[in-house]
Amino acid sequence: MPVLKADMVETLVKTGASCRADAKVAPRFRCGERIVVRNINPLHHTRLPRYVRGKRGTVERDRGVFVFPDTNAHGQGHKAQHVYSVRFTGRELWGPQASERDILYLDLWDDYMDPV
Amino acid sequence: MNGAHDLGGMHGLGSIDAEPNEPVFHEEWERRMFGLFIATFAGGHFNVDEFRHAIERMDPAHYLESPYYEHWLHSCETLLVESGAISRKELDARVAKLEKEAK
Repeated sequence: MPVLKADMVETLVKTGASCRADAKVAPRFRCGERIVVRNINPLHHTRLPRYVRGKRGTVERDRGVFVFPDTNAHGQGHKAQHVYSVRFTGRELWGPQASERDILYLDLWDDYMDPV
Repeated sequence: MNGAHDLGGMHGLGSIDAEPNEPVFHEEWERRMFGLFIATFAGGHFNVDEFRHAIERMDPAHYLESPYYEHWLHSCETLLVESGAISRKELDARVAKLEKEAK
């Protein structure tokens, strides 16, 4: 079993442990593409907030390939895939009473989305 | 998991008050909890997603009423017991001893 050594502490505290993956994986989406978030309600761990499920947004930026939390939390492997910064309007998320100026960016994994 | 941790869009929870000159730790035990996390994480006892999920598995009422680093403590305890690194009996005995000493 690995042991924490004194010289490891500074790096771990400053940078944490990155979940970026080395795997070469093709992106399912490109910047500017319209997406709809899957309406999924898994019993397991997920990083997909409830309020965005079923909502439509626009892929703004491809952040690269990362470990998929939904499988990694359960010993089911990295299932590495692209994560994107996705742009949602306040009105899409919260309805007509939201300000038309409000915009929310969420980092979402490939498996959370479908093309519109 | 649709748990109490997923608070986005919830009403009635009060304002988010930014504390001026907020210290890194408010209590000494929080500093120790941070150290315990780093040691057990580097020790390979769990990955960050397992750690987050163990927080989500807390009793929801307890989750909402407990401070941030108590969530970390709960997760560490849960995962170390589940992996067999410590036993529930050992944990309970240690807590009982600390409670007795604190009286």
